[in-house]
Amino acid sequence: MDAIIARLPEFVQAIEAIREIVLANVVLLGQIPSPTFQEQHRTVAFLERLTQAQVDECTTDGYRNPVGIVRGTDSSRPPIFVVAHLDTPFGKEVDHDYTVGENDIIGPGVLDNSVGVGVLASLPLIFRHLDLRFAADIVLAGVIQSMGRGNLRGVRHLLKTWPTPIGGAVALEGFELGRLDHYSDGMLRAEIECRIRSEHTPGHGHDPRFRPNPILVLNEAINKILEIRLPQRPRSQVIVGRISGGLKHGVIPYSAQLGIEIQSTSHQMVKSISDQIQDLVTGLRYEHEVDTDLKIISNVKAARLPFHHPLVKAAGRIISALGIQPSLSHSESELSVFLSRHIPAVALGLTFGENLHQLDARMEIAPLSRGIAQVLGVLLALDGGICHG
Amino acid sequence: MDDTWLKQNTFHYKDFQDIENLVAVKAEKGLTISLCLPTLNEEKTIGKEIVILRSELMTRFPLIDEIVVVDSGSTDRTGEVARAFGAEFYRADDILPELGPRRGKGENLWKALYITRGDIIVYLDADIKNIHHRFAYGLIGPLVLKDGIRYAKAFYDRPIATGKNVVRPTGGGRVTELVIRPLFSIYFPELTQILQPLSGEYAAYRDILEQVPFPIGYGIETSLILDICQRWGMDVICQVDLEKRIHRNQDTRALGKMAFVVMQTFFRRLNRLGALSLGPPMHNQMIQYRLVGDAYLPELFNCDGLERPPMIDVPAYRNKFERRRPTAENGAEIVPGVDKDDLGD
Ligand SMILES: Nc1nc2c(ncn2[C@@H]2O[C@H](COP(=O)(O)OP(=O)(O)OP(=O)(O)O)[C@@H](O)[C@H]2O)c(=O)[nH]1
Ligand SMILES: [Mg+2]
Repeated sequence: MDAIIARLPEFVQAIEAIREIVLANVVLLGQIPSPTFQEQHRTVAFLERLTQAQVDECTTDGYRNPVGIVRGTDSSRPPIFVVAHLDTPFGKEVDHDYTVGENDIIGPGVLDNSVGVGVLASLPLIFRHLDLRFAADIVLAGVIQSMGRGNLRGVRHLLKTWPTPIGGAVALEGFELGRLDHYSDGMLRAEIECRIRSEHTPGHGHDPRFRPNPILVLNEAINKILEIRLPQRPRSQVIVGRISGGLKHGVIPYSAQLGIEIQSTSHQMVKSISDQIQDLVTGLRYEHEVDTDLKIISNVKAARLPFHHPLVKAAGRIISALGIQPSLSHSESELSVFLSRHIPAVALGLTFGENLHQLDARMEIAPLSRGIAQVLGVLLALDGGICHG
Repeated sequence: MDDTWLKQNTFHYKDFQDIENLVAVKAEKGLTISLCLPTLNEEKTIGKEIVILRSELMTRFPLIDEIVVVDSGSTDRTGEVARAFGAEFYRADDILPELGPRRGKGENLWKALYITRGDIIVYLDADIKNIHHRFAYGLIGPLVLKDGIRYAKAFYDRPIATGKNVVRPTGGGRVTELVIRPLFSIYFPELTQILQPLSGEYAAYRDILEQVPFPIGYGIETSLILDICQRWGMDVICQVDLEKRIHRNQDTRALGKMAFVVMQTFFRRLNRLGALSLGPPMHNQMIQYRLVGDAYLPELFNCDGLERPPMIDVPAYRNKFERRRPTAENGAEIVPGVDKDDLGD
């Protein structure tokens, strides 16, 4: 470990010297629109970048996640994964025009996650430039269908079908440097929809002025959700995060929707709360003579590395050595899929910035070299067998 | 119509995407290559152009030897951004100052000949939002690989239909289709094979660029084509499909001014060739009307159509590059009609 820490300043300097390679990849890949479920163009470009960097093996898995493998020196070692999600919340109609200023890059999705993708695509050249060789294979995977309704499908599929055991993983997140995510809470995101039945629509004999009101039914649903007893331990909560419905002030709506998220440190707890909500939604259907249903949009299993796990400790030391205060936290993204399969993994932030999910998201250029040096350090630690004592 | 040129001298950037090979042939031939970006308030795009071209064609593959920005007096942060990413940045006025200040893109391209060192010079506009290194290597490719090609010109949006019977417009802008193409059709039909004569991206060998005059403004694209064709013939020119280029959309007024300058440049050359004797003198003023309140007010746009002489005629240049003015024996002649006060002798 000490040897790795000692090399960090040299890494920072060497990365600084070729920073345009990373910045070019951030722009070239980030300017390609890549909304969840429509990542084809960015996928192709990402693979092209890996091929041009002469990565030993470039391919897509059965789910079309683009993957590059930098072969290690010891083929008996389980591979180490580095992942970044390729999708963004911005549609193709959004102008993905990036501006590279003296100190920053501005544009939609640049922090989440063009910078992660750009760094991932640059790693092969950075390895070569620094003359870094690994015993294990390093698998560089851009994963698709991660965000929102994508529900981490890409990374789930990648790991489920990977033929060998996996030694460890790093998930790259643009924002923000210092972040050291080592656990995922259990999470379930669902949409409750309430619609009036056809016999209550105009022309079916019923007086439309007295039909059931889906918004009021959802109001009832909210009240019942609030009555659910939530334990302090395992820490759990239900967030009512979105609501929509109705046409205009004087008309009883035809439908209404409610978006909720269940969060808990225990997977069983998530399951039990979601069962209770499912039951109460069904109950409302009979009480109010409406159609209701609960659709699960995404879910994540709670899983964690303890904070004293050697990987977490090593990552913390590396981040501190780069002059940054590590901030231990959780994320319910790619990380959770590795952790739930018992693969030691952390998610790391790459730089600072602001306006994370706005069109004018801004990433700072200067911290990036430390962000990348940190990733190299963690990869070397994993490769050196940190997880096996 | 004979379209042999179009068939033989039209390429696609993918023909040249083996950059390693380009680098090898370049080294074998002992060539150096300079990239020049002319700017006027381009802080939004100049950064990514430099970062991407530098990363792809300097750091990763040593295809380009220098990136030089020549600026027309930007009031934004164009200079700071350009320098931050390692480009050389010059104000046009500071280059050959004894020749006096002139304003325009053509002026910048001309002065770039003095400060760059390359045997090949690549000119790219600095306002390309979807900049990609193909814009540069696509133009360098034919100059390095194809013997006889001295000037490579960009065109965009795949105007040549690839599928069977697919008819598509050729992607030229309005000034191209409404001004230049009709003029070429009337006087030089073979030049209509150049699909987008006004595209701002091209590359050429120094030894031809230094021998032609440069209009200081928008006339430069037109004059280069006409002068190069007249001196060396069309076979030294090729065009390269660079696929998509995102343009900002100019209003008709701005295009009107551009059309004015293009026609001015064109007719001057015709006149010089004796192909057309223009009766009354040409005026140097474009007149556009604007309705203000209930009055029509004329707006005047002056363009004296000033041209810089061939760079080889500038003694300071000849000294710096140890070059001799071409003599009649090697077939070259000085184009007449250039403002001789601009030579700084
Ligand atoms: N208009 C103008 N452009 C200049 C001047 N000096 C340098 N340039 C640069 O020349 C390039 C082309 O100029 P543009 O005004 O974009 O001309 P254009 O490409 O024909 O027109 P657009 O369709 O608006 O892009 C840009 O990189 C400008 O920054 C100048 O004095 N005037
Ligand atoms: Mg332009």
